[in-house]
Amino acid sequence: MNKLIKYLSASIALLTVSACSPAPETEQSLNGLLYCAEGNPESFNPQLVTSGTTLDMTAAQLYDRLIEFDADNQQFTAALATSWEISNDGLSYRFQLRDDVQFHSTDWFQPSRVMNAADVVFSFERWLNSEHPYHHVSGRGYPFFSASGLTQLIQSVRAIDEYLVEIRIYKQDSSFLANLASDFAIILSAEYGQQLLTNNQAELIDTQPIGTGPFQFSQFRKDVLVRYLRHPNYWREIAASEQLVFRIAQSDHKRMLMLLTQDCDISPYPPAKDIQWLRDKPDINLQDTISPNTAFWAFNTDRPPFDDPLVRQALAHAVNRNAILNTVYFDHAVRADSILPNTSWAHHGTPSAYRYDPEKARELLREAGYPNGFSMQIWALPVQRAYNPNARLMAERIQADLSAVGVQAGIVSYEWSTFRRRLADGEHDSVLIGWSADHADPDNFFRPLLSCAAKQSGNNRAQWCDPMFDELLSAAISSNDPEVRKAYYRQAQEHLALEVPLLPIAHSVRFQAARDNIIGLELEPFGGIQLRKVSRQKPANEEQ
Amino acid sequence: MRIYLLRQLALLIITLFLLTIFAFCLSYWFPGNPITNSSGIFSDDTVRFAEAAAARGYDANIFVQYWHYLGHLFRGDWGISLLDADPVFEQLQLRFGATLEIAVLAMLIALVPGIALGVLAALNFRKPIDHTILSMSLSGYSIPVFWFAQIAILLVAVRWEMLPIAGQINPLFNIEPITGSILLDIFISQPDNMSLALRSAVRHITLPVLVLSVMPMMLLIRLTRSSMLDVLDKNYITSAYAKGLSTRSVIWSHAIPNAMQNVIRELGSLLSLLITNTMIIEVIFSWPGIGSWLIRSIYERDYPVIQGGLLLIAALILCVHVALNLFHAWRYPQVRKDLNASS
Repeated sequence: MNKLIKYLSASIALLTVSACSPAPETEQSLNGLLYCAEGNPESFNPQLVTSGTTLDMTAAQLYDRLIEFDADNQQFTAALATSWEISNDGLSYRFQLRDDVQFHSTDWFQPSRVMNAADVVFSFERWLNSEHPYHHVSGRGYPFFSASGLTQLIQSVRAIDEYLVEIRIYKQDSSFLANLASDFAIILSAEYGQQLLTNNQAELIDTQPIGTGPFQFSQFRKDVLVRYLRHPNYWREIAASEQLVFRIAQSDHKRMLMLLTQDCDISPYPPAKDIQWLRDKPDINLQDTISPNTAFWAFNTDRPPFDDPLVRQALAHAVNRNAILNTVYFDHAVRADSILPNTSWAHHGTPSAYRYDPEKARELLREAGYPNGFSMQIWALPVQRAYNPNARLMAERIQADLSAVGVQAGIVSYEWSTFRRRLADGEHDSVLIGWSADHADPDNFFRPLLSCAAKQSGNNRAQWCDPMFDELLSAAISSNDPEVRKAYYRQAQEHLALEVPLLPIAHSVRFQAARDNIIGLELEPFGGIQLRKVSRQKPANEEQ
Repeated sequence: MRIYLLRQLALLIITLFLLTIFAFCLSYWFPGNPITNSSGIFSDDTVRFAEAAAARGYDANIFVQYWHYLGHLFRGDWGISLLDADPVFEQLQLRFGATLEIAVLAMLIALVPGIALGVLAALNFRKPIDHTILSMSLSGYSIPVFWFAQIAILLVAVRWEMLPIAGQINPLFNIEPITGSILLDIFISQPDNMSLALRSAVRHITLPVLVLSVMPMMLLIRLTRSSMLDVLDKNYITSAYAKGLSTRSVIWSHAIPNAMQNVIRELGSLLSLLITNTMIIEVIFSWPGIGSWLIRSIYERDYPVIQGGLLLIAALILCVHVALNLFHAWRYPQVRKDLNASS
């Protein structure tokens, strides 16, 4: 008997020891990158989405744009287009394209030609032209383009010759180039589109994507991972890592632990309360950037009682935002007094409109006819974003503040893709969400969020449509003079302070943590993350 | 024995049949449209919705509908998820393999030390060894599995940096999921760096399996101990000693085999506990099994997934129970005799 036990315990001990011995160098030297993402991608085509999670995972990895924005030098730089000309009246833009750009070659598609003007026209027409064979494929609409007004702005996109594209617009728009440089305006393959149409598999264009980017799609397992492989014929320097794997882990705490146990190399949005602790870890490299973003609490102005500006003002006064900065952001954020971040040149804060004043809130509620309050729902976004590390906690704080003025709030949350779908359908009373800048133009915080066009495209979380506000915005973008634009944006922000379709809460610092052997990683203030230059440093003691 | 076999099989079939009726009725009992609830196709997709309604016989009476439901069930068409339109059956196949992998391994790991320690405790009845083992099993049993998992993660993975905490394998190994069980998949796909991949998989599976095995192990200790004590009290043990058999041969050939009779009977109920714990462990260790998927489906009210999951888990537990009953009856003749006598 004793012998048996000895055998057994010995074998178990052996198994444990062999399993627990540290990873061999070879596993560490697999040429790949593990990025812990905070949710599933909704699609593999950034044209269809506005969620930062999906943009991070697709835009800069699978695709390229015509032009890009260089945040350091505050100027547009060449990408797929080598140069561009603007006509004197400002209504026609001509883009000269590169002639050496290869599309991905995969099991399901082998390109026969390099990228040319036909691909650009195809990609733009897809969201522009409702007659286009792909316009209704995937059936999600094109929220960024319709909300930012590009679909109304562009008159035509045509190929002048094989590598020259002309885009004509109806009226001058100072944010046009910035929108083209955003993560959404990516270039798809027309040839792939044609192949899928012939095979009657059009919807595959967004689930088995083909682009020109540094990585090509390989595998997607929902809730587990997204796998990309290096694009060997990339037109810039090829990606530094052979493989890029996005592991999906919704919990920020879990992602942080996975970073510590080397289950991931890069982890975005670490929990705010652990920032200091992570900073002190020698083998973790913590980066931060002032990324222009705003967390806000949007009221569904289509639903009573939120259709009454008095109620919205009351709710705005009921919330103690300074306390939220402390408990939710651990002071890694500043209080927002406008939807437009304080780093923007057009920022105009109106602190008095959103002041914490429960007395005033009660008074306003009485005036609006709700002396005993009412009950409502707060939808808290289920993932961590740069602008909001913990929406659930924020919702709980707001819930407590509201009950002090007699408003009973319930907190609602769904899985991320369900959450977005229901939001777009306008099923919410109010929602805690936010916006990160796609480009440096202030227009990016107004038209995509609060215009009537944004309401139609399902991106206006307040379901708010005010013709006067829209007029201010169009006046602002039709000028190129910063002073004139500034004046219009000031009026727009003052208008928002009166109407309060949403309560701006915070502009937050964006954090990203990585293992210290990860090189080439930079945190850009605008748009999604770039991973093509990032790789894992080879272990120093590797024999070879 | 043959009669008993037939009876057990009949019982299994009838229960499975009742189960399918229950699952079928669920699509009516859940709020919303029964066609959507069973097929996962929303009514705004008019063409496919009409197809699904026709295929499932929703224009005819409820018996015809049930018949069509059974047809779909056996064809492996379990509808699609309301959330992401993935076919439920395929997903279940893929994820169930992963769940079974850790559940079975944990059970195997629990069996050996569980039974050994139980026997040891019984042989040293009321001696210090017995007390130590007993108090260990009591405390081990009362620690909830999620807490134990967190402690294990903090100590083994974060503090000592010995083991990874998420997933089945380092995802840089490109292993095509076929069975869902990572160890089997590695053998099937035969990657170039197979030994390295296996090593990575073993490192990933260790922590969840060990944590998962604690609870069944502790239960087994207690079961074995009490059953062993019962047996040691029996006359045939005394007579075996009286015949001059050595302690070793009394224990090995008389006491332990007879003590196992009770233990085996209880294994079935252990399994249902184990499956529940597996789901919790899957969520904690990001193990891509059915657990996290079912839990999400419950609070997102993804009815086709709930139905499929319910059916699968209930059927699994049922089949194991029946199989254990049969094994029990086959292995221990006196059980058969009792059963026959009572009928």
